[in-house]
Amino acid sequence: MISLILPDPHLPYRREFIKKRDFLYLGALMLLPVIWPDSLFLMVLAGIYAILSLGLSLFLGYAGQISLGHAAFFGIGAYTTAILTTRYGVPPLGAFWASAVAAAAFAYLIGKPILKLKGYFLALATLGFGEIFLVIVRESRSLTGGVSGIFGVPWFSLAGFTFDTYLKQYYLVWGVLIGLVLFAKNLVRSKMGRALLAVAASEDAAASVGINVVRVKVGVFVISAAFAGFAGSLFAGVMSTASPGAFGLGLSVLIVMMVIMGGMGTLYGPIFSAVFLTWLTDVLGGYQEYSLPIFGVILILLLIFFPDGVGTRLNARLIYLISYWGRKRRRERVER
Amino acid sequence: MDPWGLIPQLLISGITMGAIYALVALGFVTIVKASQIINFAQGEFVMLGGVITFFFIKGAGLSYPLAALMAVIVVVIIGFLLHVLVIYPLRKASTLILIMATLGASIVLSNTSALLFGTLPKTLTSFSGEQPLEIGGVLIVPQSLWVLGATVCLLLSLHFLSHRTLLGKAMEASSTDPLGADLVGISRNLMVFFAFGVSAAMGSIAGVLVTPLFYTSYSAGTLLGLKGFIAAVLGGWGKNSGAILGGFALGIVESLSVAFIPSGYKDGVAFAVLLLILYFRPKGILGSPFIDSRRW
Repeated sequence: MISLILPDPHLPYRREFIKKRDFLYLGALMLLPVIWPDSLFLMVLAGIYAILSLGLSLFLGYAGQISLGHAAFFGIGAYTTAILTTRYGVPPLGAFWASAVAAAAFAYLIGKPILKLKGYFLALATLGFGEIFLVIVRESRSLTGGVSGIFGVPWFSLAGFTFDTYLKQYYLVWGVLIGLVLFAKNLVRSKMGRALLAVAASEDAAASVGINVVRVKVGVFVISAAFAGFAGSLFAGVMSTASPGAFGLGLSVLIVMMVIMGGMGTLYGPIFSAVFLTWLTDVLGGYQEYSLPIFGVILILLLIFFPDGVGTRLNARLIYLISYWGRKRRRERVER
Repeated sequence: MDPWGLIPQLLISGITMGAIYALVALGFVTIVKASQIINFAQGEFVMLGGVITFFFIKGAGLSYPLAALMAVIVVVIIGFLLHVLVIYPLRKASTLILIMATLGASIVLSNTSALLFGTLPKTLTSFSGEQPLEIGGVLIVPQSLWVLGATVCLLLSLHFLSHRTLLGKAMEASSTDPLGADLVGISRNLMVFFAFGVSAAMGSIAGVLVTPLFYTSYSAGTLLGLKGFIAAVLGGWGKNSGAILGGFALGIVESLSVAFIPSGYKDGVAFAVLLLILYFRPKGILGSPFIDSRRW
C-alpha cells in the first residue's frame, strides 16, 4: 500500500513540549521578519498551508489513508468564519473555534461511510466530497455568495488587538502552528498515535490486537479536518475573502504533495515542504501561463526521484553523517 | 413547466451523454485490467481529442475526417508518452504516488493545451447537419445518433480486437493472469503500454464525438474523466460490460436530475451517486472481479 517510513517503533508515551532542536527552529522563525522582511506575506500563506499539511500528515503520513478532499475542510473553515463574522457579528476568536468545530463535524458525518474504503476508492470518494462541496458553495448564493464569494471578512483580532499587518499576521499564524505542532507531537506519542501507525501497517493486524480501527480512522480524520478548519479560519481572516476558487482540487493536490515531499510519518517535514512549495508556486506564478505546466512537470519529477519525500532522504543522510562523526570523535577520545 | 413532460427529451440527451461516459469508463477499465493503475489523466485524452481536432481544422486547414484521424493519432502518441515517461518509471511505486503522478500529468496536459491552443472553449460543427429529427414529439439532434452509432462500432471493434487478434488476446491474457502470461512470453510492460494507447484512442474518439454537442475547453477534461471513472465504479469495477452499463446509467440519472433539482447542482449528482454506490454496493451493479463484496 503506502510506503511508510516509521518514525520510531518504540515511541514511549512521554509528554513532549520543547526540545533543544526546537529552539533552533523557533529562533529562526522569530528572526525571519528581521532578516528577510519581503518574505512576510509568503510566510503567512506558508504558515496557513503548513497547518493544513500538518493535519493531513496525521491522516496521510501516520494513518496511511488518502484524502484528496482536504481543501473542502479548509473551505468549510474559511466560509464558517466569513459567514459568522460578516453576517452575525461573531468575534473572530469565536469564529476561529467554530470553524474547527464545523470542519470536524462534517468530517465526522462523512468519515464513517467513506473511511470503509481504501486506496484508489478512498481517494476518489474524498475527491467527490470536495467537488460536491464546491458545487454547493457555488449554487447556494444566499449563504455563500456564489462564485464571487464573501468579501470584507474582518481582520483577526484578539481582546482588542487587531492583526492588521503582515508582521502581526505572521506571528499569529506561526503561533497557532506552534500550538498545533505541540498537540500533534503529543498525539503521535499517545496510545492513539501508536494505533495510527498500526492501522497504517495493517488494518487486520491492528484489529487483531484490539484496536478499534474504525474509531481510530474516523478520529484522526476528524482531527485533521479540525486542523484544516483552523487553517481556513486564518485564511479568511488574513485574505479577508472566501471564494470557491481557492478551495479546489488544485489545493488538495498541493497539500497532499506537501505531505509526500515532507516525508510520510513526520511532523516537521510537511511544514518545511509547505514553505518550499508555497515559495515554488509563488516563483512559478511569475511565469504567468507557463506556471501550471511547469508545476506539473516538477511534481512528476519529484515523485519519480523522491517518492519517499525530500525531507526524509536528507534527514537520513544527515543523521548518518552526524552519528558517524560522533562515533569517530568518541573513538579518537578513547584511543587518546 | 411540468417536469414529467420533459422526461423523454432528457432521456435522449442522457443516453447520448451516457455513451460518452461509457467510452471514458472503458478507457479506465482497459488500463486497470492491464496494470491495476487508475489513470486520473484519462479525461484529458477526451479534451485533447476535441481540442486537437479543432486545431487541425482551423489551424492546419485539414478536412474534418482527416483532422479527426490525425487528432486520434496524436492523442494515442501522447498516451504512449504518458506511459513511458510517467507510469513506467513509477511502476513499483505505491498507490498514493501513482495517483499524484497521474494527477500531475493531468495538470500538465490540460494547461499545456491551454498554452498551445488557447483557453477559449471550442466547438466543432456536427457531422451531418443541425436540423433535429422529430420522433413522437421528441427532438433528436443528428449528432446524438452519430455518437450512439460510433459508440456501438467502437465497442464492436474493441470486442473484435480483444478476441480475434493476437495482440488483443495477449492483452486479455496478461490482464486475466499476469504471471501465466509472463510464463508464455507476453511482456507485461508492453501490454500496459498498448493498453495506454487503446485507452487514449477511446478517450480521444469520445472527445471528437462530444465536441459538436458541448463546448470543450482546456479544463473540461478533469470533470469528464472523473465522471467516466464514476461510471466504471457504478457498473462494476474492472468489467467492460460494467463500464458500458454504468456509463449509460450515469448519463441518464444525471440528465433526469435536471428535471427535479436546479441545473447548477447537476455536476454534484454524479458524485452523490458515487458516494451512494461506494457505501451501499462498492462492487457496482454487475459485480466486480477486483472487489470483494465486504471490504477491499
